[in-house]
Amino acid sequence: MESTDSYKVRLEVFEGPLDLLLYLIKKQKIDIHHIPIATVTKEYLEYLNKKKRININREAEFLFMAALLIYIKSRMLLPREKVINEEDPRQPLVHRLLDYQNIKGASAILRKKEDEEHLKWKRTSQPPLLKGEDLELEEVSLFDLAEAFFSLMKRRESQDFRIIKGKEFSVEEKIKEILTELKKNSFLDFLDYFYQQESLEEALVSFFGLLELIKTKVVVAVQEQLFQAIKVWLTKDYYAWQN
Amino acid sequence: MAKLMDSKLKNIIEALIFVSIEPLTEENIRKVLEEFPQEEIDKAIRELLQSFSDNEKGIQVTNSGGGYLFSTKPEYDSWIKRLLHIERKNKLSSAAIEALSAIAYHQPITLAEISALRGVDSSHTLKTLLQKKLIKIVGRKKCPGKPLIYRTSEKFLTYFGLNSLNDLPTQEEISKILEEENNFEK
Repeated sequence: MESTDSYKVRLEVFEGPLDLLLYLIKKQKIDIHHIPIATVTKEYLEYLNKKKRININREAEFLFMAALLIYIKSRMLLPREKVINEEDPRQPLVHRLLDYQNIKGASAILRKKEDEEHLKWKRTSQPPLLKGEDLELEEVSLFDLAEAFFSLMKRRESQDFRIIKGKEFSVEEKIKEILTELKKNSFLDFLDYFYQQESLEEALVSFFGLLELIKTKVVVAVQEQLFQAIKVWLTKDYYAWQN
Repeated sequence: MAKLMDSKLKNIIEALIFVSIEPLTEENIRKVLEEFPQEEIDKAIRELLQSFSDNEKGIQVTNSGGGYLFSTKPEYDSWIKRLLHIERKNKLSSAAIEALSAIAYHQPITLAEISALRGVDSSHTLKTLLQKKLIKIVGRKKCPGKPLIYRTSEKFLTYFGLNSLNDLPTQEEISKILEEENNFEK
Protein backbone atom coordinates (compact mmCIF):
# COMPACT_ATOMS: atom_id res chain seq x y z
CA MET A 1 0.00 0.00 0.00
CA GLU A 2 2.72 2.38 1.00
CA SER A 3 4.73 1.71 -2.12
CA THR A 4 1.89 2.48 -4.52
CA ASP A 5 1.32 5.72 -2.68
CA SER A 6 4.90 6.82 -3.04
CA TYR A 7 4.83 6.10 -6.78
CA LYS A 8 1.67 8.10 -7.05
CA VAL A 9 3.40 11.06 -5.50
CA ARG A 10 6.30 10.55 -7.89
CA LEU A 11 4.14 10.64 -11.00
CA GLU A 12 2.27 13.68 -9.85
CA VAL A 13 5.48 15.61 -9.41
CA PHE A 14 5.63 15.76 -13.18
CA GLU A 15 3.49 18.34 -14.85
CA GLY A 16 2.88 15.98 -17.75
CA PRO A 17 4.38 13.39 -20.07
CA LEU A 18 6.85 15.87 -21.61
CA ASP A 19 8.09 16.73 -18.14
CA LEU A 20 8.59 13.05 -17.31
CA LEU A 21 10.34 12.42 -20.60
CA LEU A 22 12.70 15.36 -20.08
CA TYR A 23 13.50 14.06 -16.63
CA LEU A 24 14.38 10.62 -17.99
CA ILE A 25 16.55 12.15 -20.70
CA LYS A 26 18.39 14.33 -18.21
CA LYS A 27 18.81 11.49 -15.76
CA GLN A 28 20.49 9.36 -18.42
CA LYS A 29 22.54 12.33 -19.63
CA ILE A 30 21.32 11.74 -23.16
CA ASP A 31 21.72 14.27 -25.95
CA ILE A 32 18.20 15.48 -26.61
CA HIS A 33 18.80 15.50 -30.38
CA HIS A 34 19.77 11.82 -30.44
CA ILE A 35 17.38 10.10 -28.12
CA PRO A 36 17.85 6.33 -27.99
CA ILE A 37 14.14 5.69 -28.35
CA ALA A 38 14.32 2.06 -27.20
CA THR A 39 15.94 2.89 -23.85
CA VAL A 40 13.78 5.89 -23.16
CA THR A 41 10.58 4.06 -24.08
CA LYS A 42 11.52 1.25 -21.74
CA GLU A 43 12.22 3.64 -18.88
CA TYR A 44 9.08 5.59 -19.58
CA LEU A 45 6.89 2.49 -19.54
CA GLU A 46 8.55 1.31 -16.34
CA TYR A 47 7.52 4.56 -14.73
CA LEU A 48 3.94 4.14 -15.82
CA ASN A 49 3.83 0.52 -14.70
CA LYS A 50 4.83 1.48 -11.21
CA LYS A 51 1.45 3.04 -10.86
CA LYS A 52 -1.02 0.27 -10.21
CA ARG A 53 -4.34 1.90 -10.80
CA ILE A 54 -4.60 4.30 -13.64
CA ASN A 55 -6.61 7.46 -13.27
CA ILE A 56 -7.80 7.76 -16.84
CA ASN A 57 -8.34 11.50 -16.72
CA ARG A 58 -4.83 12.30 -15.65
CA GLU A 59 -2.94 9.40 -17.08
CA ALA A 60 -4.45 9.46 -20.55
CA GLU A 61 -1.85 12.02 -21.54
CA PHE A 62 0.95 9.85 -20.19
CA LEU A 63 -0.41 6.85 -22.08
CA PHE A 64 -0.71 8.87 -25.25
CA MET A 65 2.98 9.69 -25.04
CA ALA A 66 3.79 6.02 -24.45
CA ALA A 67 1.91 5.16 -27.62
CA LEU A 68 3.79 7.88 -29.50
CA LEU A 69 7.15 6.54 -28.29
CA ILE A 70 6.29 3.03 -29.37
CA TYR A 71 5.12 4.34 -32.74
CA ILE A 72 8.41 6.19 -33.27
CA LYS A 73 10.36 3.14 -32.25
CA SER A 74 8.46 0.93 -34.70
CA ARG A 75 8.96 3.43 -37.50
CA MET A 76 12.67 3.43 -36.87
CA LEU A 77 12.76 -0.36 -36.97
CA LEU A 78 10.93 -0.71 -40.25
CA PRO A 79 13.17 -0.76 -43.30
CA ARG A 80 12.22 1.94 -45.77
CA GLU A 81 13.00 2.93 -49.25
CA LYS A 82 14.33 6.37 -50.12
CA VAL A 83 15.95 6.83 -46.76
CA ILE A 84 17.87 9.89 -47.82
CA ASN A 85 15.20 12.56 -47.84
CA GLU A 86 13.15 11.24 -45.04
CA GLU A 87 12.91 13.10 -41.76
CA ASP A 88 14.05 11.36 -38.62
CA PRO A 89 10.79 10.10 -37.00
CA ARG A 90 12.08 11.46 -33.70
CA GLN A 91 12.30 14.99 -35.02
CA PRO A 92 8.78 16.28 -34.17
CA LEU A 93 9.13 14.94 -30.64
CA VAL A 94 12.55 16.54 -30.23
CA HIS A 95 11.04 19.86 -31.28
CA ARG A 96 8.26 19.52 -28.77
CA LEU A 97 10.72 18.60 -26.03
CA LEU A 98 12.93 21.60 -26.81
CA ASP A 99 9.92 23.94 -26.84
CA TYR A 100 8.75 22.47 -23.59
CA GLN A 101 12.20 22.73 -22.05
CA ASN A 102 12.23 26.45 -22.86
CA ILE A 103 8.84 26.88 -21.23
CA LYS A 104 10.15 25.08 -18.15
CA GLY A 105 13.19 27.33 -18.02
CA ALA A 106 11.11 30.47 -18.43
CA SER A 107 8.76 29.20 -15.71
CA ALA A 108 11.67 28.85 -13.30
CA ILE A 109 12.73 32.44 -13.97
CA LEU A 110 9.16 33.72 -13.65
CA ARG A 111 8.83 31.86 -10.37
CA LYS A 112 11.90 33.72 -9.05
CA LYS A 113 10.41 37.01 -10.21
CA GLU A 114 7.15 36.13 -8.48
CA ASP A 115 9.07 35.62 -5.24
CA GLU A 116 10.81 38.97 -5.63
CA GLU A 117 7.59 40.80 -6.46
CA HIS A 118 5.79 39.26 -3.51
CA LEU A 119 8.16 41.13 -1.22
CA LYS A 120 7.12 44.44 -2.75
CA TRP A 121 3.66 45.36 -1.57
CA LYS A 122 1.52 47.56 -3.70
CA ARG A 123 -1.61 49.34 -2.75
CA THR A 124 -3.52 47.31 -5.30
CA SER A 125 -2.55 44.06 -3.70
CA GLN A 126 -3.97 44.93 -0.33
CA PRO A 127 -6.70 42.50 0.69
CA PRO A 128 -10.28 43.79 0.87
CA LEU A 129 -11.24 45.28 4.21
CA LEU A 130 -12.84 42.81 6.51
CA LYS A 131 -14.62 45.45 8.54
CA GLY A 132 -18.10 46.04 7.24
CA GLU A 133 -18.60 49.40 8.92
CA ASP A 134 -15.71 51.00 7.08
CA LEU A 135 -17.52 50.61 3.80
CA GLU A 136 -20.32 53.03 4.71
CA LEU A 137 -22.93 50.45 4.03
CA GLU A 138 -26.39 50.19 5.40
CA GLU A 139 -26.85 47.31 7.76
CA VAL A 140 -29.86 45.26 6.83
CA SER A 141 -32.59 44.75 9.41
CA LEU A 142 -33.72 41.29 10.39
CA PHE A 143 -37.03 41.92 8.67
CA ASP A 144 -35.33 42.69 5.40
CA LEU A 145 -33.34 39.51 5.72
CA ALA A 146 -36.35 37.39 6.57
CA GLU A 147 -38.32 38.93 3.75
CA ALA A 148 -35.57 38.27 1.22
CA PHE A 149 -35.23 34.74 2.50
CA PHE A 150 -38.90 33.84 2.30
CA SER A 151 -39.47 35.36 -1.11
CA LEU A 152 -36.48 33.37 -2.31
CA MET A 153 -37.84 30.17 -0.79
CA LYS A 154 -41.22 30.74 -2.40
CA ARG A 155 -39.55 31.11 -5.73
CA ARG A 156 -37.62 27.92 -5.11
CA GLU A 157 -40.70 26.02 -4.04
CA SER A 158 -42.44 26.51 -7.36
CA GLN A 159 -39.42 25.04 -9.13
CA ASP A 160 -39.07 21.90 -7.04
CA PHE A 161 -40.76 18.91 -8.56
CA ARG A 162 -39.90 16.42 -5.89
CA ILE A 163 -37.78 16.39 -2.81
CA ILE A 164 -35.50 13.55 -1.96
CA LYS A 165 -34.91 13.47 1.73
CA GLY A 166 -31.24 13.32 2.43
CA LYS A 167 -29.02 13.98 5.39
CA GLU A 168 -29.91 16.11 8.34
CA PHE A 169 -28.32 19.43 9.00
CA SER A 170 -27.22 21.09 12.21
CA VAL A 171 -26.98 24.80 12.87
CA GLU A 172 -23.40 24.37 14.12
CA GLU A 173 -22.38 22.70 10.91
CA LYS A 174 -23.91 25.43 8.82
CA ILE A 175 -22.26 28.15 10.90
CA LYS A 176 -18.93 26.54 10.21
CA GLU A 177 -19.74 26.32 6.52
CA ILE A 178 -20.74 29.97 6.34
CA LEU A 179 -17.56 31.06 8.12
CA THR A 180 -15.31 29.02 5.85
CA GLU A 181 -17.04 30.52 2.86
CA LEU A 182 -16.57 34.02 4.30
CA LYS A 183 -12.92 33.48 5.04
CA LYS A 184 -12.39 32.31 1.51
CA ASN A 185 -14.25 35.03 -0.33
CA SER A 186 -14.42 37.82 2.28
CA PHE A 187 -18.13 38.23 1.58
CA LEU A 188 -21.14 36.14 0.75
CA ASP A 189 -24.01 37.03 -1.51
CA PHE A 190 -27.13 36.35 0.51
CA LEU A 191 -29.41 35.29 -2.35
CA ASP A 192 -26.73 33.27 -4.13
CA TYR A 193 -25.91 31.39 -0.99
CA PHE A 194 -29.46 30.35 -0.25
CA TYR A 195 -30.13 29.58 -3.83
CA GLN A 196 -27.45 26.89 -3.64
CA GLN A 197 -29.16 25.12 -0.74
CA GLU A 198 -30.69 21.90 -1.86
CA SER A 199 -33.78 21.62 0.30
CA LEU A 200 -36.03 23.91 2.29
CA GLU A 201 -34.84 22.19 5.43
CA GLU A 202 -31.20 22.88 4.65
CA ALA A 203 -31.96 26.49 3.79
CA LEU A 204 -33.87 27.01 7.02
CA VAL A 205 -31.07 25.58 9.11
CA SER A 206 -28.55 27.78 7.27
CA PHE A 207 -30.76 30.80 7.83
CA PHE A 208 -30.88 30.13 11.58
CA GLY A 209 -27.11 29.76 11.53
CA LEU A 210 -26.76 33.11 9.80
CA LEU A 211 -29.12 34.79 12.27
CA GLU A 212 -27.07 33.36 15.12
CA LEU A 213 -23.88 34.82 13.59
CA ILE A 214 -25.51 38.21 13.18
CA LYS A 215 -26.78 38.13 16.76
CA THR A 216 -23.29 37.47 18.10
CA LYS A 217 -21.99 40.22 15.79
CA VAL A 218 -19.54 37.89 14.09
CA VAL A 219 -20.92 38.82 10.71
CA VAL A 220 -22.85 41.77 9.41
CA ALA A 221 -25.42 41.80 6.61
CA VAL A 222 -25.32 44.94 4.49
CA GLN A 223 -26.93 46.35 1.40
CA GLU A 224 -25.07 48.89 -0.69
CA GLN A 225 -28.25 50.48 -1.92
CA LEU A 226 -31.94 49.85 -1.70
CA PHE A 227 -32.98 46.84 -3.82
CA GLN A 228 -29.39 45.78 -4.33
CA ALA A 229 -27.89 42.46 -3.39
CA ILE A 230 -27.52 41.79 0.32
CA LYS A 231 -23.99 40.86 1.24
CA VAL A 232 -22.70 39.22 4.40
CA TRP A 233 -19.27 40.22 5.72
CA LEU A 234 -17.14 39.17 8.66
CA THR A 235 -16.74 41.80 11.35
CA LYS A 236 -13.63 42.49 13.38
CA ASP A 237 -15.39 40.85 16.32
CA TYR A 238 -14.95 37.62 14.44
CA TYR A 239 -11.29 37.44 15.43
CA ALA A 240 -12.10 38.06 19.05
CA TRP A 241 -14.85 35.48 18.90
CA GLN A 242 -12.55 32.95 17.39
CA ASN A 243 -10.09 33.05 20.27
CA MET B 1 14.14 79.60 -10.47
CA ALA B 2 14.75 76.72 -12.84
CA LYS B 3 15.76 74.59 -9.90
CA LEU B 4 12.48 75.31 -8.14
CA MET B 5 10.59 74.39 -11.28
CA ASP B 6 12.31 71.01 -11.53
CA SER B 7 11.47 69.94 -8.03
CA LYS B 8 7.92 71.07 -8.49
CA LEU B 9 7.54 68.94 -11.59
CA LYS B 10 9.03 66.01 -9.72
CA ASN B 11 6.50 66.49 -6.94
CA ILE B 12 3.59 66.66 -9.35
CA ILE B 13 4.60 63.35 -10.91
CA GLU B 14 4.98 61.84 -7.45
CA ALA B 15 1.43 62.95 -6.63
CA LEU B 16 0.14 61.51 -9.90
CA ILE B 17 1.71 58.13 -9.18
CA PHE B 18 0.31 58.24 -5.67
CA VAL B 19 -3.31 58.44 -6.83
CA SER B 20 -2.90 55.83 -9.58
CA ILE B 21 -4.01 52.30 -8.83
CA GLU B 22 -2.89 51.04 -12.24
CA PRO B 23 0.71 51.67 -13.30
CA LEU B 24 0.91 55.31 -14.47
CA THR B 25 2.21 55.38 -18.02
CA GLU B 26 4.62 58.03 -19.30
CA GLU B 27 2.04 58.81 -21.93
CA ASN B 28 -0.44 59.71 -19.21
CA ILE B 29 2.14 61.81 -17.38
CA ARG B 30 2.84 63.71 -20.58
CA LYS B 31 -0.86 64.25 -21.20
CA VAL B 32 -1.33 65.81 -17.76
CA LEU B 33 1.84 67.91 -18.00
CA GLU B 34 1.25 68.98 -21.60
CA GLU B 35 2.63 72.50 -21.06
CA PHE B 36 6.04 71.18 -20.04
CA PRO B 37 8.74 70.16 -22.50
CA GLN B 38 9.49 66.48 -22.89
CA GLU B 39 13.06 66.65 -21.65
CA GLU B 40 12.04 68.38 -18.42
CA ILE B 41 9.50 65.68 -17.70
CA ASP B 42 12.07 62.95 -18.40
CA LYS B 43 14.52 64.66 -16.10
CA ALA B 44 11.92 64.99 -13.35
CA ILE B 45 11.05 61.27 -13.63
CA ARG B 46 14.73 60.35 -13.36
CA GLU B 47 15.12 62.56 -10.31
CA LEU B 48 12.02 61.11 -8.74
CA LEU B 49 13.29 57.56 -9.20
CA GLN B 50 16.64 58.66 -7.81
CA SER B 51 15.11 60.27 -4.72
CA PHE B 52 13.30 57.07 -3.82
CA SER B 53 16.26 54.79 -4.32
CA ASP B 54 18.24 56.03 -1.32
CA ASN B 55 17.73 54.66 2.18
CA GLU B 56 15.57 57.52 3.38
CA LYS B 57 12.30 55.92 2.39
CA GLY B 58 10.35 52.70 2.92
CA ILE B 59 8.63 52.87 -0.41
CA GLN B 60 9.98 53.08 -3.92
CA VAL B 61 8.78 53.87 -7.41
CA THR B 62 8.86 50.78 -9.58
CA ASN B 63 8.65 50.70 -13.31
CA SER B 64 6.45 47.74 -14.16
CA GLY B 65 3.35 46.90 -16.17
CA GLY B 66 4.20 49.68 -18.63
CA GLY B 67 4.17 52.49 -16.06
CA TYR B 68 5.20 53.77 -12.66
CA LEU B 69 3.82 52.46 -9.41
CA PHE B 70 4.56 52.83 -5.73
CA SER B 71 5.59 49.71 -3.91
CA THR B 72 7.19 49.00 -0.58
CA LYS B 73 10.85 48.07 -0.50
CA PRO B 74 11.39 44.32 -0.27
CA GLU B 75 13.24 44.49 3.05
CA TYR B 76 10.12 45.63 4.91
CA ASP B 77 8.04 42.64 3.85
CA SER B 78 7.90 41.03 7.29
CA TRP B 79 6.56 44.18 8.95
CA ILE B 80 3.78 44.56 6.41
CA LYS B 81 2.79 40.95 6.92
CA ARG B 82 2.55 41.65 10.63
CA LEU B 83 0.26 44.59 10.02
CA LEU B 84 -2.01 42.76 7.62
CA HIS B 85 -1.98 39.47 9.56
CA ILE B 86 -0.81 37.61 6.49
CA GLU B 87 1.63 34.77 6.90
CA ARG B 88 2.44 34.26 3.29
CA LYS B 89 1.12 35.23 -0.08
CA ASN B 90 -0.37 32.57 -2.29
CA LYS B 91 1.88 31.51 -5.09
CA LEU B 92 0.74 30.34 -8.47
CA SER B 93 0.71 26.57 -8.97
CA SER B 94 3.44 25.12 -11.17
CA ALA B 95 0.81 24.25 -13.76
CA ALA B 96 -0.33 27.88 -13.77
CA ILE B 97 3.20 29.26 -14.17
CA GLU B 98 3.94 26.76 -16.92
CA ALA B 99 0.78 27.64 -18.84
CA LEU B 100 1.56 31.34 -18.38
CA SER B 101 5.03 31.00 -19.89
CA ALA B 102 3.59 28.98 -22.76
CA ILE B 103 1.08 31.78 -23.40
CA ALA B 104 3.57 34.59 -22.87
CA TYR B 105 6.00 33.28 -25.47
CA HIS B 106 3.52 31.96 -28.01
CA GLN B 107 0.70 34.48 -27.87
CA PRO B 108 -1.83 34.90 -29.37
CA ILE B 109 -2.59 31.26 -28.65
CA THR B 110 -5.55 28.89 -28.32
CA LEU B 111 -6.31 26.36 -25.61
CA ALA B 112 -5.45 23.45 -27.94
CA GLU B 113 -2.07 25.00 -28.74
CA ILE B 114 -1.28 25.57 -25.07
CA SER B 115 -2.24 21.98 -24.25
CA ALA B 116 -0.08 20.70 -27.11
CA LEU B 117 2.93 22.70 -25.91
CA ARG B 118 2.58 21.36 -22.39
CA GLY B 119 1.43 17.87 -23.37
CA VAL B 120 -1.34 18.27 -20.82
CA ASP B 121 -4.96 19.39 -21.05
CA SER B 122 -4.88 22.98 -19.79
CA SER B 123 -8.56 23.98 -19.72
CA HIS B 124 -8.77 24.01 -15.95
CA THR B 125 -5.53 25.94 -15.57
CA LEU B 126 -6.71 28.53 -18.10
CA LYS B 127 -9.91 29.04 -16.14
CA THR B 128 -7.89 29.81 -13.03
CA LEU B 129 -5.62 32.21 -14.92
CA LEU B 130 -8.66 34.00 -16.37
CA GLN B 131 -10.16 34.32 -12.90
CA LYS B 132 -6.92 35.78 -11.63
CA LYS B 133 -7.00 38.13 -14.63
CA LEU B 134 -3.46 37.16 -15.59
CA ILE B 135 -4.62 36.32 -19.11
CA LYS B 136 -7.39 37.68 -21.30
CA ILE B 137 -9.46 36.53 -24.25
CA VAL B 138 -8.73 38.63 -27.31
CA GLY B 139 -10.96 37.01 -29.91
CA ARG B 140 -11.56 33.83 -31.84
CA LYS B 141 -9.29 32.09 -34.31
CA LYS B 142 -10.57 31.83 -37.86
CA CYS B 143 -10.33 28.06 -38.13
CA PRO B 144 -12.75 25.17 -37.61
CA GLY B 145 -14.41 25.40 -34.23
CA LYS B 146 -13.47 29.08 -33.90
CA PRO B 147 -11.50 28.55 -30.67
CA LEU B 148 -10.89 31.45 -28.28
CA ILE B 149 -7.53 33.20 -28.47
CA TYR B 150 -5.67 34.14 -25.32
CA ARG B 151 -3.05 36.72 -24.42
CA THR B 152 -1.31 37.69 -21.23
CA SER B 153 -2.85 40.73 -19.50
CA GLU B 154 -1.34 43.91 -18.08
CA LYS B 155 -1.75 42.37 -14.66
CA PHE B 156 0.55 39.55 -15.77
CA LEU B 157 3.31 42.12 -16.32
CA THR B 158 2.86 43.81 -12.93
CA TYR B 159 2.56 40.45 -11.20
CA PHE B 160 6.04 39.45 -12.35
CA GLY B 161 7.46 42.98 -12.21
CA LEU B 162 7.91 43.18 -15.97
CA ASN B 163 7.59 46.47 -17.79
CA SER B 164 6.61 44.97 -21.13
CA LEU B 165 6.66 41.63 -22.91
CA ASN B 166 10.16 42.56 -24.09
CA ASP B 167 11.29 42.04 -20.50
CA LEU B 168 10.38 38.33 -20.55
CA PRO B 169 13.37 36.07 -19.85
CA THR B 170 15.52 35.90 -22.99
CA GLN B 171 16.66 32.73 -24.68
CA GLU B 172 20.14 33.24 -23.15
CA GLU B 173 18.71 33.55 -19.66
CA ILE B 174 16.62 30.44 -20.22
CA SER B 175 19.55 28.45 -21.57
CA LYS B 176 21.62 29.58 -18.62
CA ILE B 177 19.09 28.42 -16.06
CA LEU B 178 18.62 25.09 -17.87
CA GLU B 179 22.37 24.56 -17.81
CA GLU B 180 22.50 25.40 -14.12
CA GLU B 181 19.78 22.87 -13.46
CA ASN B 182 21.66 20.22 -15.37
CA ASN B 183 24.83 20.90 -13.45
CA PHE B 184 22.92 20.81 -10.22
CA GLU B 185 21.55 17.39 -11.01
CA LYS B 186 24.99 16.00 -11.77
